[in-house]
Amino acid sequence: MSVAGSACAVLLILLVASLYRGWSSASNVLTHLPGDVWVAQAGTRDPFRSTSMLPSGASERLERISGVRLAIPVYARRIAFTQDGRELDVYFMSLDVPTGPQWPATVRSSFLPPPGGVVVDRALAQNAGLHVGGELDVLGRKLRITGIRPGGNPLYQLAFVNGADAPKVLRLGDVTSFYLLSVANGANVAAVARASEAALPGTEASTSSAFAAATARLVNEGFLPVVGALVAIGFLVGGAVIGLTTYTATIEKARDFGVLKALGASDRFLYRIVVEQSLIVGVAGATLGIGASALAASLIERRVPEFVTELRVGDAAGVFVITLAVSLVAAYLPAHRINHIDPAIVFRA
Amino acid sequence: MIGPAPLLQVDDLTRVFGSGRTEVRAVDGVSFATEAGEITLVMGPSGSGKTTLLTMIGGLLRPSSGCVVIEGVEITALPSRELPRVRRESVGFVFQTFNLLESLTALENVEVALNVAGVKGPQARMRATDLLVAAGLETRLGFQARDLSGGEKQRVSIARALANRPALLLADEPTANLDSLHGGEVMDILRDLVKEDERAAVVVSHDARLQRIADRVLWLEDGRLRAVTAPEVAGPA
Repeated sequence: MSVAGSACAVLLILLVASLYRGWSSASNVLTHLPGDVWVAQAGTRDPFRSTSMLPSGASERLERISGVRLAIPVYARRIAFTQDGRELDVYFMSLDVPTGPQWPATVRSSFLPPPGGVVVDRALAQNAGLHVGGELDVLGRKLRITGIRPGGNPLYQLAFVNGADAPKVLRLGDVTSFYLLSVANGANVAAVARASEAALPGTEASTSSAFAAATARLVNEGFLPVVGALVAIGFLVGGAVIGLTTYTATIEKARDFGVLKALGASDRFLYRIVVEQSLIVGVAGATLGIGASALAASLIERRVPEFVTELRVGDAAGVFVITLAVSLVAAYLPAHRINHIDPAIVFRA
Repeated sequence: MIGPAPLLQVDDLTRVFGSGRTEVRAVDGVSFATEAGEITLVMGPSGSGKTTLLTMIGGLLRPSSGCVVIEGVEITALPSRELPRVRRESVGFVFQTFNLLESLTALENVEVALNVAGVKGPQARMRATDLLVAAGLETRLGFQARDLSGGEKQRVSIARALANRPALLLADEPTANLDSLHGGEVMDILRDLVKEDERAAVVVSHDARLQRIADRVLWLEDGRLRAVTAPEVAGPA
């Protein structure tokens, strides 16, 4: 029972942690796109929460900056629509570049669908019952689903359309949302960002990782305190379960401890027994909890697509180590109880 | 002529519980000595202080006054932290209710006593096996304590008491929970262990049959030593 209790605590902690990891890594898509510097309208530091409108046709100006290999216009807009009776709220993006073999296959399949095509993320696909070869009807414009990329979260589900389709699907008019600059090998990315701001007044430029970090901040600010509280509660519950179980076992086995004392067992010998028992419960609970977390995360993610989880080995190892530490602390009370066991108990019938 | 020092010397041992009107003198000024190779049987009615006396001799209870000397060491003068070592090295206990660890096997119960003394691994296993084989339990080594008969449990308990080769055996009603056949077996084992290995034993019991193996009988009443008699002699009138 104590193993099950500590396993439940570990399960709670790891599920929350993996959910947090999954959501905060959703913004990593910005670093996977084929570019190094994002140029946005001044004041836009998070593409998903604020709008950016830049003049069209600025690519050439940006490509004249030393170190810039390519300036890609990026169109982005959040669109709410209905598909087969389902309300969908999708963040559409489009990179206005010719698709072709110059791009790695992963970039083409994830972000650069052919004209008339759309790549959706897995959460959106599961939510809307979409599949490759199927259709997405965006406000009367039918797009063929050419790919499903991993990821998604409840805050924004992503879809990528071809650059040629962007004006008709996103209906942004004569504006571009962002420019994504691909920097030549060896060029100074920070210098390119500064130069692009100078070349296009009224803009802010940031590296892809900084842009992604700004987006992840939304998740961090919203969820970290909750995650922290749940993790703390999980460890408290786990520690209490292990401590109480070991304490109860110590009381139940008071006579056995009395026998060991009568046989001449030192306090250190008895403490070691208690600590070992507590650690065994901790190790078994942590192991069971980690296994259950992996299974539960996988099952829940299948049932609820937005429940994007990422169970990291480092997190599991950290929880394992902390559980052992909590087990050691939990052994204190039972070990203290042993001091009060009278070895003369062995003479009572 | 001065003879060798007794293996166990109990001198004016007293234990008082409570105070004032609730004061009870459980053991009151008891003195006796036991040599190696001797079995001292302590008899008396319930509440006469027999077990309290045994508990103090074993270093499990501090006396109110008086002293206990085992193998020349006055254990009543030792600090509490030293007493476990005395119990490990010099004293072996045999209990009325056996006090085996029920979830462990017969072999593990004996090994535990060795582990407590720092003997571990194959060495402990070998010694525990030898003791149980000597106690006639070679077919019961892997049996859990809870699955053994009363007689077998007491033999495991004796094997455990001997694990660390103590000079003094303290037995509390060792035959009380056994039928006459198994009680007789336990008596014979105790006698052989004391006589052959030059140990001393103090046996507390109501069982008059134990006089058969005793060298002397101490009669205790209301905590006081009323008589010291030869065995197979009826109690004081």
